Amino acid sequence: MPKKLHNNICEENLFNALFKKHSQHLHNFLYYKFGERLDPKDKMQEAFIKLWENCKKVTPEKAKSFLFTIGNNLMLNEVKHQKVVLKYQQIKQKHHTNETPEFVLEEKQYMDKLQTALTNLTDAQRVAFLMNRIEGKKHKEIAELLGISTKAVEKRIYGALKKLRLDIDEL
Amino acid sequence: MKRKVLIKKWLDNELNSEDLEAFKQLKDYTDLVRLSHNTMLFKPENIDISFELESLNFALKTRKQKGNNYFKPLLRVAAILAISLSLFYYTTTLNTNINTEIAQKENVVLPDQSLVVLNAKSTLTYNKSKWENNRDLNLNGEAYFKVAKGSKFSVKTNTGTISVLGTEFNVKNRKDLFEVICYEGSVKVEHNNKTNILKPGENFLLLNNIVIEKPKAVETSPYWINNETDFTSMPYTQVISEFERQYNVTFSVDNIDTNQLFTGSFSHNNIEVALQAITFPLNLKYTKNNNKISLQRE
Repeated sequence: MPKKLHNNICEENLFNALFKKHSQHLHNFLYYKFGERLDPKDKMQEAFIKLWENCKKVTPEKAKSFLFTIGNNLMLNEVKHQKVVLKYQQIKQKHHTNETPEFVLEEKQYMDKLQTALTNLTDAQRVAFLMNRIEGKKHKEIAELLGISTKAVEKRIYGALKKLRLDIDEL
Repeated sequence: MKRKVLIKKWLDNELNSEDLEAFKQLKDYTDLVRLSHNTMLFKPENIDISFELESLNFALKTRKQKGNNYFKPLLRVAAILAISLSLFYYTTTLNTNINTEIAQKENVVLPDQSLVVLNAKSTLTYNKSKWENNRDLNLNGEAYFKVAKGSKFSVKTNTGTISVLGTEFNVKNRKDLFEVICYEGSVKVEHNNKTNILKPGENFLLLNNIVIEKPKAVETSPYWINNETDFTSMPYTQVISEFERQYNVTFSVDNIDTNQLFTGSFSHNNIEVALQAITFPLNLKYTKNNNKISLQRE
């Protein structure tokens, strides 16, 4: 076995590098899973604080899963009653638009439906689906990030898509 | 089936141009693209990593000041050390106490190899840690000392202090009775600011606070060491209380002058023989009922 350069992550440079590498992923993961009301940015910060406090026990390879688990747990402590709410960016109102008012209204309704439908997905489905669609991540990358198999990712994303289609049609 | 494969490929961005054409032919192509396109509007905010990192480092720094990493374990170590040190100090400066019960004798070897034989119902107290500089001990009861040669050795009793340099002697310190007998070397007895020096065989006897002259003893160690107690012209009360100490019995006395003097001895091994030994010479009768013995005139 090759000797590892670092046994723990107590060194500041290493820790900062880890932050640069994982903070956005962790934030997005928490946002997809729990929505924006529970302040994913805050939880992301807290997870890194916890990581620093336990820096002696965590190897660089374990840091990512440590962060994701801690972030998840921090959220779960708070989540209990709150419903997942994702925030869609308001489509910029163009001042001079060719779009008819009907179209604008219809688009707004569609977004609301999509929002509800996303909320109704399982956490696992939503996380995988949004990582795939929003960040354009390949299945393999998502699998690595979540620590599951590619096959499972594929299943979740496809399942999510199917459910969304159904839900939107019904609503 | 083809549809499912195409959609999955599309989801994983793996459509080649041929597949793409086929995908575009799908009935719900526009719906799918719209769904995908609109989902992107749920984009999470982009994190300003350098700003976040800065605020994280700030949070960590303020936290560090509260409870830093080195001080706490150090405090724990210090606390353990303090506790064990004080415990060590406490136990080593504590006096050593040796007690004997009724009918019990105990051999004690002191730190300097001096030997003490403690008779029944007696207490010996000394301090182990100070022993080298200060050979002092307290005695309540009766004990025989064989002192190793060395510095001054003192036995303190509530009646007087006995000090020697290295010798053998017996101290009997009971109620109304204080007796020191020297068997070897010389012994200094201090009582009421008066000092008596005893030579081998000589003794110092105090009965009810009165000094009594007694002839020289001839034996070389006290009788009680060999499980026998002897009395020479002792008040009968002293005989009875010594008997009670050796046999765990209580006496009730009817109509007998307990101040009359008794000379003789009794054994510590056989209560019947011992009772006869202390009653027969005075023409007394005894009845024994469990641990109670009553004495009457014959």
